Amino acid sequence: MNKYNPPRMNPSSLRSRFATRFLRSLSKINAKKPTASSSSPTEIFRRYRRIKVAADKSMAYSVRSRRTWSRAMLWKLRTRPCCRRSVKTSTIVRKTRHEKQNKNTTTTTGEDGVVFGVEADELRELVPGGEAMDLYNLLDETAHYIKCLTTQVQVMKKIADFYSP
Amino acid sequence: MASENDDMGLEMSSITMLNKYSNISESDPFFSSGWDPIVSQSESLGGSSMASHYHLVMENQGISGTSHVSQYQSNPSFVELVPKLTGFDGGNLSQIPGPFSLPQCNQIANSNERGSKNSLRSLDEHRISETLVGTSPNGKIRKRSPESDSPLRSCKNGDEEPGMDLSSEGCDGPREQAGKKPKTEQNSGANSRGKQAAKQDKDSSQSGEAPKENYIHVRARRGQATNSHSLAERLRREKISERMRLLQELVPGCNKITGKAVMLDEIINYVQSLQQQVEFLSMKLATVNPELNLDLDRILSKDILHPQSAAVLGFGPGTNPSGSHTFSPSTFTGTISGFPNTNPGFPPLPQTVLENEVQNLFQMGFYPGSTMDGFGLDGIH
Repeated sequence: MNKYNPPRMNPSSLRSRFATRFLRSLSKINAKKPTASSSSPTEIFRRYRRIKVAADKSMAYSVRSRRTWSRAMLWKLRTRPCCRRSVKTSTIVRKTRHEKQNKNTTTTTGEDGVVFGVEADELRELVPGGEAMDLYNLLDETAHYIKCLTTQVQVMKKIADFYSP
Repeated sequence: MASENDDMGLEMSSITMLNKYSNISESDPFFSSGWDPIVSQSESLGGSSMASHYHLVMENQGISGTSHVSQYQSNPSFVELVPKLTGFDGGNLSQIPGPFSLPQCNQIANSNERGSKNSLRSLDEHRISETLVGTSPNGKIRKRSPESDSPLRSCKNGDEEPGMDLSSEGCDGPREQAGKKPKTEQNSGANSRGKQAAKQDKDSSQSGEAPKENYIHVRARRGQATNSHSLAERLRREKISERMRLLQELVPGCNKITGKAVMLDEIINYVQSLQQQVEFLSMKLATVNPELNLDLDRILSKDILHPQSAAVLGFGPGTNPSGSHTFSPSTFTGTISGFPNTNPGFPPLPQTVLENEVQNLFQMGFYPGSTMDGFGLDGIH
């Protein structure tokens, strides 16, 4: 790895996009309750959940809809907190779940299918939106998802290190 | 006779010739009767090359009746051999304005002329199919056994003729997927394959010779199923293995792993660990954040508004881009922690400022610290 790096980061890179969005949402979260008992475990837990959602959302928004997993994640994030809101979303949820069940019967035929049966299902659970994909697209999405996850981890690590001396 | 051959009568002559050809034990009749029309044509072309073909063919056929069959079994597309008696060098065919691409036959034949059995077998399918019309009963008999070895190739050979029963013998699948390129290309392709012995190269070279329609060129290797489904499966599997190789590069420490199942397990573990890391870091940020939140805003805003003060801190991303990489995260955070004490009165700035500052900030923070992570993913953007 080169010691010298160009001084200017690529402003449109995934990392900068994610970092921008994430810091923005972080400051929003932290600015919400500055005077509340922020050290109580429940409060910390709540903030943790919000930060996690913010991280996922920032990453998904940085990728936009270019990837299946980002679309699935955005959809999941949108409908997740809204489940108590209205019946509309629940019907939508049911419909898409039904569609997903129909697509779930994608079998990996051939001798690979026997090998990949169990692991592919596990991978499908891990990668958002992976239930409705065949193995090839699933691997494709996994590759991009891994790349974005590593970016996310790096940015958050830097932020955490920045905050805690 | 030549005129007859010039027209559709070629088929008739070929039928006669090949019927005689079926009486393999008699090599003389070939020359005497059945070969006359073609011999005459070939001679008109300056048929020294033709003669060589004749000789070669006669060698193939003159051995014995059974041996012919055995020889043709070694030549999976027996169909090709049979018409070689008739359509030699393509020179004859060039004179015949048939529905066949004769110039190709010419080139192909000339290119293949020098070879032995290989060249004979590797004649263009056009000629083969031409003369096969009448010889289908005979050709079928001989072709069945070799055809079982290479259904792909024989099907391609017989594909052109609508009346050919050979083509219908379960070769529809691979035929569709067979490459329809000129013979020369396939010869090179077969040679580039180079998988097995010359015999097998011949076999593969015989496949998909005739340029028919434009299909995906999928070459069935010897010993592999040539069903259309299995070919598609094979393509798919190759794509999947390519993806697995890409993933292998992404996941650290997976270079030695060879095996899809183990590789998938590694990938799953890696994704799980990354997700857990994200959760852990978000928890860490939740605990750490509230204390330094305002400070961060102030610090970041300060950097934008007051480059001199940033320079005082030794932190000048805008003014000293060259020096940015000299900062280490520890010194950076040290200055940050010391900052609020000296400048307590700054109000937090709007978010736009923060965003601009974030980029500068992370130029600072990322590059010196990028070596911390062993992933080295900076180039992935």
